[in-house]
Amino acid sequence: MTITINGKSCECEKGEFLLRIAERNGIEIPTLCHHDAVEGQGCCRLCIVETVTRGRSQIVVSCVYPVEKECEVFTDSEKVRRERGIILRLLEKRAPDSPEIRALCEKYDAPRIDRFVKADSGKCVMCGLCVKACAELSVGAISTVNRGVAKEIATPYHEPSSVCVGCGSCASICPTHAIEVKETKDTRIIWGKSFRLVRCRRCGAVIGTEQEIAMAAERAGQEADGLCSNCRQMRIADVFAGTYGN
Amino acid sequence: MKKNIKVCCGTGCLANGSRLVAEEFERLAGEDALVECEIRRTGCNGFCENGPLVTIEPDHISYYRVRVKDVPEILEKTVKNGETVDRLLYKDDSGKPVRSQEENPFYAPQLKIALRNIGKINPADVDDYIATGGYEALKKALAMTPDEILDEMDASGLRGRGGAGFPTGTKWRTAAGYDVFPKYVACNGDEGDPGAFMDRSILEGDPHSVIEGMAVCALAIGAEEGFLYIRDEYALAVQNVRAAIRAAEERGFLGDSIMGSGRKLHLSVVRGGGAFVCGESTALMQSVEGKVGEPRAKYIRSVQRGLWDHPTVLNNVETLANVPYIIVHGGAEYAGIGTERSKGTKVFALVGKVKRTGLVEVPMGATLRHLIYDIGGGVQNNRPFKAVQTGGPSGGCIPASMLDLPVDFDTLKEYGAMMGSGGMIVMDDRSCMVEVARYYVQFLSGESCGKCTPCREGLKQMLAILTDICEGRGRMEDLDLLESLGETMQDSSLCALGKSAPNPVLSTLKYFREEYEAHIREHRCPAGVCKELTRFSVNPEKCAGCSACVRVCPTGAASGERKQPHRIDPEKCISCGSCREACRFGAIITKGRGEA
Repeated sequence: MTITINGKSCECEKGEFLLRIAERNGIEIPTLCHHDAVEGQGCCRLCIVETVTRGRSQIVVSCVYPVEKECEVFTDSEKVRRERGIILRLLEKRAPDSPEIRALCEKYDAPRIDRFVKADSGKCVMCGLCVKACAELSVGAISTVNRGVAKEIATPYHEPSSVCVGCGSCASICPTHAIEVKETKDTRIIWGKSFRLVRCRRCGAVIGTEQEIAMAAERAGQEADGLCSNCRQMRIADVFAGTYGN
Repeated sequence: MKKNIKVCCGTGCLANGSRLVAEEFERLAGEDALVECEIRRTGCNGFCENGPLVTIEPDHISYYRVRVKDVPEILEKTVKNGETVDRLLYKDDSGKPVRSQEENPFYAPQLKIALRNIGKINPADVDDYIATGGYEALKKALAMTPDEILDEMDASGLRGRGGAGFPTGTKWRTAAGYDVFPKYVACNGDEGDPGAFMDRSILEGDPHSVIEGMAVCALAIGAEEGFLYIRDEYALAVQNVRAAIRAAEERGFLGDSIMGSGRKLHLSVVRGGGAFVCGESTALMQSVEGKVGEPRAKYIRSVQRGLWDHPTVLNNVETLANVPYIIVHGGAEYAGIGTERSKGTKVFALVGKVKRTGLVEVPMGATLRHLIYDIGGGVQNNRPFKAVQTGGPSGGCIPASMLDLPVDFDTLKEYGAMMGSGGMIVMDDRSCMVEVARYYVQFLSGESCGKCTPCREGLKQMLAILTDICEGRGRMEDLDLLESLGETMQDSSLCALGKSAPNPVLSTLKYFREEYEAHIREHRCPAGVCKELTRFSVNPEKCAGCSACVRVCPTGAASGERKQPHRIDPEKCISCGSCREACRFGAIITKGRGEA
């Protein structure tokens, strides 16, 4: 089927998410909580767009909105600009230390709202990507805690987690770099817990934490080889070269 | 003739001591061979403020505020001799004692369908339910095809009583249309609106009607498993529903072969942990699955992908309680009640500053005036009516000029309020509408799940602005900001909680804007509620020197000689308003902080 986005015809499958269709057609829609690896969050609400279906206009959240009927989509209508501007300013007051949010406010020309109460500090926008990434890729060491305006992301009881392997998936997926990771030569500290880093036995690059490597080896069902991905590729290349000769 | 003594043992009456009353009846009746009676502990009669309620059948005599000491007299006079104990009868508006519930102005205009058995049967006794025609609908439904059941539901025009008003027949039919198994049937008993207790009352007082409704639904859609999600605070509801499920299984109404038909249905209770947002359908399902109770985007409906991504019908308690009636009497008969687009009856929890508070079931389309004045008896102490807040925390406030609006799913929405699940809080001229809006926003900011930005952050900012206005720091531009923030929350929040959270603010801004302006411009709370903006004093002309204010004042600010005009020391006064409530002469006056 075909829909139009900002006047441009776009081919799509029935049921496909609107954000994906826009991305494929080079139409930019801002988003914080969307990540291809962990879909379906739909919580930052930055990606709102206006759809008009048979003359009926509606604000929808494009990352989780499946296109079922032919419609016209406007990613930058007056209503979208106004409401997105308010959402951006709400996020800015929550995460005043985030340069990413400040940049988005400027890029999308969000009107200043000085009346809103600003948090003292912080970068987290509560998108929940870290929680989902940890649950799906790692061990589920962090979770949302409390509800309502008091909601936050934390380890159980704010104590160092007994299951965290220090893989840092949470920090690397965070759109506002809100999760603090401290690294020295041999250690990584994240969520208040210290991990010993393991280095590649061939080139000396950091592979990961001891616990993370043990977990990966257990899941894969084989011994860890102590190599970084680069050196592993080189070793495999050597094996191939030895087998097939020049 | 053997008398039937029904002692109300709903939560309200239990709190007023009805268990002791029931035990006293049982003890004395057991000792006296001349008393021939059966004592039955029933569910809630809905008139809780006048409890404990005792009804004697077949005489049709209802007593109110019955204490243990009244029991011997009731046995002697009414049960043995058929006489009434006049002091325990309800007095109507003219002060005349009324004998039966049918003559009581609170009950007379009501039409009970969802509440049909409550107060009449013992919820712990399945035979009581069967004796009133219970499980007839299930028997009938077993002989019908799923399509015939769905046709009957469509014909009834029943719409979801949880508030959204989605046509029940359509919901069931959609779920029936998916060939994905297993399917689930679920009951939403997570009633959380402040002041609302209709679902609680039904679950406690007539659990089998809900179970039977779920069983009919399961037959129609092809489900073999179901859940009743009940908030854990409703201990009696959880207990009665669990007992009812066991009893229904023992009698073969549930289990591996419903009434010998070979059709299966297993039901179980899931206790809610107390989060308001878990009343939202998708959050409820997350919670049933054991996950954090957060809603998901509803572009794909639960009837398609609900519990464990399987087709699920989730109905509200009251909706389900209507189902057996519809199957037995036919959809057409049910559709004869109510309005063009809202069929049947609706149960309201009528509370607040109204003379008669309680659970009220009336045909859809009854006006607010009928509910508040005819059934509720008007505003307490005959003070002026100011507003009625309908639809729970995310409903709206409706002013006096709209008292003649019919209450149904669609009308109130046009005016920025909603019928919702049926909460109805009446407010008089001593209610500050800004404070009311602030209260609800505060409630919701604690109860929002916190997942999406507009709801979580929007409520936080809204609360800060409203608190500023209530405390004299408001600015006129705040009103426009509240409106545009409200619009954003309505459009872009994830679930119905966030989408409707601005309603109390937007509706009060629409109908009581001058009250906001008085707070901001004049630093004055017209209702005399906002402490930071209100000074209390005594009008010496009206003060009779009765000392009522002196007795209730918590800080010793009110003082004076008896029969002499009293005074309030502004240094000690904390503006709590207790003196004003206590004064019978209207001598306590309020002024704004800035007023002379």
